[in-house]
Amino acid sequence: MSLKRLKNYTTEDIADAMVLPVTLTSKQRKEADRQLSEHRAMRRTEMTEEEKLHFKLFRLKFQLEDYLKEDQYNPQFTFGYFLEQYLQLTNRKKKEFAGDIQIHETLLSSILKNRREPNESFMIRLELHSNNMIPAIDWFKLLEKEKGHQINTNRSLRDKESRFVTHSLQLV
Amino acid sequence: MHITERVTNEDKLVHVRAIEDADFKQITVKRYLFNWKKLEHECKIYKLTLIDSEDVLGLIALIDFPEEERTEIKLLTSSIENIGKEKQYDRIAGCLIAFAGKEAIGKFKNYPALSLVPKTELKQHYIAKYKMIDAGWQLYLEDISLLNVIKQYLS
Repeated sequence: MSLKRLKNYTTEDIADAMVLPVTLTSKQRKEADRQLSEHRAMRRTEMTEEEKLHFKLFRLKFQLEDYLKEDQYNPQFTFGYFLEQYLQLTNRKKKEFAGDIQIHETLLSSILKNRREPNESFMIRLELHSNNMIPAIDWFKLLEKEKGHQINTNRSLRDKESRFVTHSLQLV
Repeated sequence: MHITERVTNEDKLVHVRAIEDADFKQITVKRYLFNWKKLEHECKIYKLTLIDSEDVLGLIALIDFPEEERTEIKLLTSSIENIGKEKQYDRIAGCLIAFAGKEAIGKFKNYPALSLVPKTELKQHYIAKYKMIDAGWQLYLEDISLLNVIKQYLS
């Protein structure tokens, strides 16, 4: 499409509202892709470790936020799973990380394996460790989502607890 | 994610979703400037609407290049009433670009990028507005520059 059809608009107006298609010859396309590939490779070599970490953490944050927005429960996405991802990204061994947030390594292992439930202090320490990148409330909501699923699907507990309930409401 | 109504200066929540066949009935060349149906086989097309409406305010067509960990914006347009000084809403294009960037981050594990081939006349505007990186023929967003656009438009 030529810009002539949009002659009543300034280039700024157009750029503000559109990305117009550009047709390249195959030779131009090859050259454009080569330039882009080289430029990206050069930038990657110039990235500092801090910049790489920052980007990776954002990815984890997005993944967690997206999961929290979904209605669906995913058994893979446990508290332990996201915590494990965090440790891997930050390149911290269990012992080091336990030291960073001053908890016993055994407790950290249990949380990673979803055998123990983290408390609020733990989640706040995670927030602080990530320099507020992943807020405690997101860790809390993750735990809540897991617990919500458990309470929703726990039939044996329902059977067990039904013995203690009498005069339940009779509804139409 | 929100756009801003210019008259009232009110922010309105929007979402971006994949286009469905039925949408093409309302996607006319008159209002969206191109024959979007033609792109259907080559690209993934997404629409931006207000959260409580089916009226399409913007469209974006994307092509993935998995071997390069890159998504390219083939075409993007706001609806005709959202182009120019008298437009109804601000931020439509920004939200669509940020959405595309976040999709790229979700798809590509190591160094995801979002690129476009700009019209020469428009190149400097994209660089100024989105801090796109100039790679010659193409512009792109990657790592921190990509995150900044996502933070600006998707939060």
